[in-house]
Amino acid sequence: MSMVKHEKTAPRDAPLSETTFIGWLQKNLFSSWINTILTIISIYIIYSVSKSLLIWGVLDAVWVAENRRECFAISKHGACWAGVLIWFDNIFYGRFPRDQIWRVNLGGLLLVLWMAPLWLPRVKDKIFIGLSTVFLYPFLAGYLFAGGDKGIFMQVMTTGAIVCLIGNTVHSILGMTSGRSLPEYLIAVLGKEKASDGNQRNTLLAILAVAYVVVYALQMGWTVMAVPWSKWGGMHLTLVISGIGITSALPGGIILALGRRSRLPVIRVLSVSFIEIFRSVPLITVLFMATTMFPLFMPEGFVLNKLVQVIIAVCLFSACYMAETVRAGLQAIPKGQYEAAHTIGLGYWGMMAFVVMPQALKHMIPNIVGSFIGLLKDTTLVSIIGLFDLLGMLRAISQDIPWRGLHHEPLIFGAALFFVICFAMSKYSRHLEVKLSAGEKH
Amino acid sequence: MTAVDGQETQGQLASAASSEVIIELNQVNKWFGSFHVLKDINLTVHKGERIVVCGPSGSGKSTLIRCINRLEEHQRGDIVVDGITLDKNLKNIDHIRSEVGMVFQSFNLFPHLSILENLTLGPIWVRKIPKAEARDIAMSYLERVKIPEQAEKFPGQLSGGQQQRVAIARSLCMNPKIMLFDEPTSALDPEMIKEVLDVMVELAATGMTMIVVTHEMGFAKTIADRVIFMDEGDIVEQNEPNEFFNNPQSDRTKQFLSQILTH
Ligand SMILES: Nc1ncnc2c1ncn2[C@@H]1O[C@H](COP(=O)(O)OP(=O)(O)OP(=O)(O)O)[C@@H](O)[C@H]1O
Ligand SMILES: [Mg+2]
Repeated sequence: MSMVKHEKTAPRDAPLSETTFIGWLQKNLFSSWINTILTIISIYIIYSVSKSLLIWGVLDAVWVAENRRECFAISKHGACWAGVLIWFDNIFYGRFPRDQIWRVNLGGLLLVLWMAPLWLPRVKDKIFIGLSTVFLYPFLAGYLFAGGDKGIFMQVMTTGAIVCLIGNTVHSILGMTSGRSLPEYLIAVLGKEKASDGNQRNTLLAILAVAYVVVYALQMGWTVMAVPWSKWGGMHLTLVISGIGITSALPGGIILALGRRSRLPVIRVLSVSFIEIFRSVPLITVLFMATTMFPLFMPEGFVLNKLVQVIIAVCLFSACYMAETVRAGLQAIPKGQYEAAHTIGLGYWGMMAFVVMPQALKHMIPNIVGSFIGLLKDTTLVSIIGLFDLLGMLRAISQDIPWRGLHHEPLIFGAALFFVICFAMSKYSRHLEVKLSAGEKH
Repeated sequence: MTAVDGQETQGQLASAASSEVIIELNQVNKWFGSFHVLKDINLTVHKGERIVVCGPSGSGKSTLIRCINRLEEHQRGDIVVDGITLDKNLKNIDHIRSEVGMVFQSFNLFPHLSILENLTLGPIWVRKIPKAEARDIAMSYLERVKIPEQAEKFPGQLSGGQQQRVAIARSLCMNPKIMLFDEPTSALDPEMIKEVLDVMVELAATGMTMIVVTHEMGFAKTIADRVIFMDEGDIVEQNEPNEFFNNPQSDRTKQFLSQILTH
């Protein structure tokens, strides 16, 4: 059985099917008779559908018209995008006063500014930036959207948010340029590197306090006119509701999932019933309950506006779904990880925060993004209980007298919008998964 | 058994045991459901003592040492570690766990953290040591287990032997008074067993109190002050290593030794 090979084997080219396009076609589309027939049929279907779509949606479409009748007059069998274009602002901003729309845009811009550092290299303390997005940004955005008289609470919170935003931005620029964090930079500028930890901390706190007072004084004079929530609508409203739902789903879901695994029977039973009740009822039912039944349980004279009720309902609903996702993620963590965390002396919360959750969350990314996408789409249900979210606005077009009966174009436009957002989210989650698992191979 | 034969010739490590008692088990009993795993266990361990526990699979060795840092809860009897009685008091448990290091058969490193972060997690968050200092401590232990160059890597990028040495260093970073080892080499390929045992022999030489569950008999002869043989939840026999291996008293021990020494 012995053998010896003396010459080296020279590398040869890979088979054609691996390298060329024609080879790929042969291997994947025309490998057998059946495959060839299926390919030809599919090509025919794709061709005819896209051809008529192209003719209807682009070639024969009407882009500028005053009303639907005019659309018909110009082109009988083309899409009437004119209606969608005229309603464009409504689709995105609802009935938000036209001269105030900059506030919505600014709110979105600030969110981008706030979160961008999370994706930048060399920026430190990203956890803090992430947490501040969740806990401070909503107040600033909330005031921008709602406006009106700032109570003392909103003064305090918006000031905090503004200080934090400025701090984040400077911190990120410093991080990008010098790799240093803002506190390190301040300490260095003040020449306090040698000072004790306590001294350094006090210095930083003093700077923070001064910044806070200055910003507080400046923002006192700044008010924007009130916009009642009933004027909110369109894409803006959809994003507000689903955004709040999404940000509260994760912490809520983690708490519920931990409750479900708790050793204390009371907490466990409460969490399980809560989760199971919400999960066995459709969202639309929860929404109806929230808007019609909820007020009955409230004390006399206590009126919550419909939007708040809807948001609470969406948050509870999404938290319960997230709880199950989190639970599945927790179950994927081997027992040895818990034990190892215990043996280095970590208590329950330390173990969860540093060992278990970071690993579980990574396993959960596809499911989390999946539920985010689901939530974004489910939010359209609020149009049924009378909020004019994106879907509500799209359907309102067909009720508008000049555009009466214009159903298809707005809905197709809405579908395209949702597709772009959801597809981007799922692509990004795929990218995250790959990126996060790159560091550790198993 | 193969890896440590060389060390036998170096002779046994001098005993570091003092008269101070650090672990005391008194009539300890444990059940898993209705299955009686530990039966009337009595054991006294002195400071600096090195104990090797052996016995057939399922005899309760792991359960015994896991009771000592309360990864398992015993139902009857008392366990006193470093002067503290283990009971339902969570503060005591956390305290004991930070004084007792443990190394597992399957390493159990944290895969999402770098080696250095694995080592500094406990010191920073449990011991509240400043980051820079914790880093220095961690590096010094990585040097002791001879892999300082791996500090920035992730556990998945290391070989089994390296991972187990990191696990030992991780425990040592907490500056424990007692180290428990549960078959630290049985998941390793033969050529890696030696590098881990070498680290453990060095650790033994520093006077650390150690309880080691292992079937590496050469290692047991080198470091152990006492060998304990367990079978079906009983401590059947305990003796100093030479007597234990050359002159076993009970039939169960003889049978066990003949099995593991013949292959
Ligand atoms: N969590 C558990 N629940 C129920 N039974 C258990 C549990 N853990 C261990 N056992 C049982 O207790 C007995 C002793 O287990 P233990 O792990 O202590 O044995 P061991 O001596 O360490 O064996 P090995 O050499 O295989 O590691 C075994 O029969 C095992 O099946
Ligand atoms: Mg075992």
